[in-house]
Amino acid sequence: MKQIAIYGKGGIGKSSISSNLSVNLASEGFEVLLIGCDPKSDSTINLFGGRRIDTVLDLYKKGITDPDKLIYEGYNGVKGVEVGGPAAGVGCAGRGILVALKTLNKDYYLEKGFDIIIYDVPGDVVCGGFAGPAREGYADEIYIVTSGEYLSVYAANNIAKGLFNLNVKMGGIIGNMRGIPSEEQKIKSYSEEIGSQLINAVERNPKIYESEIEGKTVLEKYPDDPLNLKFKDIGNKIINNKKAKVPNPTTDEKIRSIIGGFY
Amino acid sequence: MNILTPRPNPIVAALYTLRDLDVDVAVLHGPSGCGFRAARLLEEDGMKVVTTSMSEEDLIFGASDKLIEVLHEVDELFSPKTIGVVGSCVSMIIGENVKKAIVDSGLKDKAFFVEIHGCMGANTRGAIETLKAAMEFGLINENEFKRQEEMLLLATEVESNSGMAKSKYTRPSRGTELKVVADHIVNLLKENKRIAVILNAKKETAYLFADIPLAINLASKKYGGSVINVGNLSTDVGLLRIKRYAEDIKNNFGSNGITIDYISGGMDEYPIAGKNAIEYLKDKDFDLLVAVGIPQALPIIDKESIAVTNGPREVHPLEDRGYKYVTVEIASHSTVMGTREIVLSELGEAIRNAAGIQ
Repeated sequence: MKQIAIYGKGGIGKSSISSNLSVNLASEGFEVLLIGCDPKSDSTINLFGGRRIDTVLDLYKKGITDPDKLIYEGYNGVKGVEVGGPAAGVGCAGRGILVALKTLNKDYYLEKGFDIIIYDVPGDVVCGGFAGPAREGYADEIYIVTSGEYLSVYAANNIAKGLFNLNVKMGGIIGNMRGIPSEEQKIKSYSEEIGSQLINAVERNPKIYESEIEGKTVLEKYPDDPLNLKFKDIGNKIINNKKAKVPNPTTDEKIRSIIGGFY
Repeated sequence: MNILTPRPNPIVAALYTLRDLDVDVAVLHGPSGCGFRAARLLEEDGMKVVTTSMSEEDLIFGASDKLIEVLHEVDELFSPKTIGVVGSCVSMIIGENVKKAIVDSGLKDKAFFVEIHGCMGANTRGAIETLKAAMEFGLINENEFKRQEEMLLLATEVESNSGMAKSKYTRPSRGTELKVVADHIVNLLKENKRIAVILNAKKETAYLFADIPLAINLASKKYGGSVINVGNLSTDVGLLRIKRYAEDIKNNFGSNGITIDYISGGMDEYPIAGKNAIEYLKDKDFDLLVAVGIPQALPIIDKESIAVTNGPREVHPLEDRGYKYVTVEIASHSTVMGTREIVLSELGEAIRNAAGIQ
């Protein structure tokens, strides 16, 4: 079993990548569990036709802590979990993640025979709780989603700093492109700059958001679209990835020169 | 039910349990004042307790480096064999990765982490988490863990069925005046009556509570009457340190010529030892029962009874259980720390005064 966590700048497409990755891995025969760690609870929404499942923390409040009752089966047999958390502006979402992950736990995943656990983590690493999925016993390696835009790479680098400080391994970078010039090369150069690798880069494609409007992944709405092959490729590379290592974050100047260098 | 009465705290329970395990140093990863009253008492009992003295700044930026530094400092200052690191509300809310800090400090062979904070329910949860961490660290075996876990869960049940967790708010009380209770006991002995004394004490508090059976036995020697002595003084059950307490008290009784008629269990078995004691006394003939320590763990019997507790908030629940008198040993905790022999109790002194013994 492999456990991975997906980090990246807010709004960069972590949930789109995670859900499309999950359903394509499932169609390759893997048992997949997607754990959405955002208190907004929108990571798994495309597995359930737009329906929001009950969150671990809502159920926890009602005294329900049996992992079997916290996990839902979505499209293509992918299992989905939403950690949930407090409403915006109150409580402590970070603590919520720690409590929810402890309630679920690795022994249970092993017992259920999952091949891959994917944690979809909100935004950058903002507090100790949000780094929870990156801790020992949780994700074995981290993937960062970024576009080739400066702020997105800057956020990725900030996450890489967190991983460096926490001594956590990074599996690579997944590009989610916005359509700027030489974008894939920019992301690739940045990946190499921090001693990591570009797993693959997904082009901007209206089929992704067309599917999302219906609460679906691309595989469900456009099963024959070649985009699915890209997600399968990313999935297989992650499953077989043996090159995870702690990244060496770079400087702001270096990022600017890498990104600027391709114009 | 949301209980309003302030109650014992899981962090403090974790610290006490580390002491029971003969851990040399407890490092509380939290504010300098967290559990400080308990920490001071525990230091008198030989275990070092330090904190990482977390500040506002640490809440914002995290304090793992500080924890590592403190671990190095205590290692140098006290050369401990074992160190227990205990969580606190703040360090756990901000998500401090204590396990990693221990590994990074290079002290993982002597330090282990007890993942606990103040909002985790009954205080016994702190004790259970500590024992579990100690088991994983190799200080105790699984059987001992399971036995103690069962006891602690039963203790929690006792508190919610018959102790201060029974109602929403429990007023503290000092109960009946000590002199009234002492006179009553001595008068019965003068009338040649038979008194059964059950010592059902929790761990080190027995050093104080044992003084009451001791005083009653001395008064009986002077004035007559007779005493049945029952106590949870088994030297076969529990952690080394706890068995040592039982040994000490038995020796004190022995040197005062007192025989224990029945051993009702070990010193951490107070949730069940009370039942054993009452079962033993079922067909015995006596005129008064004096239950000291954790009387709330005793089944109710149809006999004139006196309860002696150390919790002012246990008084009303005990009165509800039908005890004729309930009285409180108010100073119990501070006096027993670091002792190896029975210490004077307030009721014991009152009995000695009433009986004219010095």
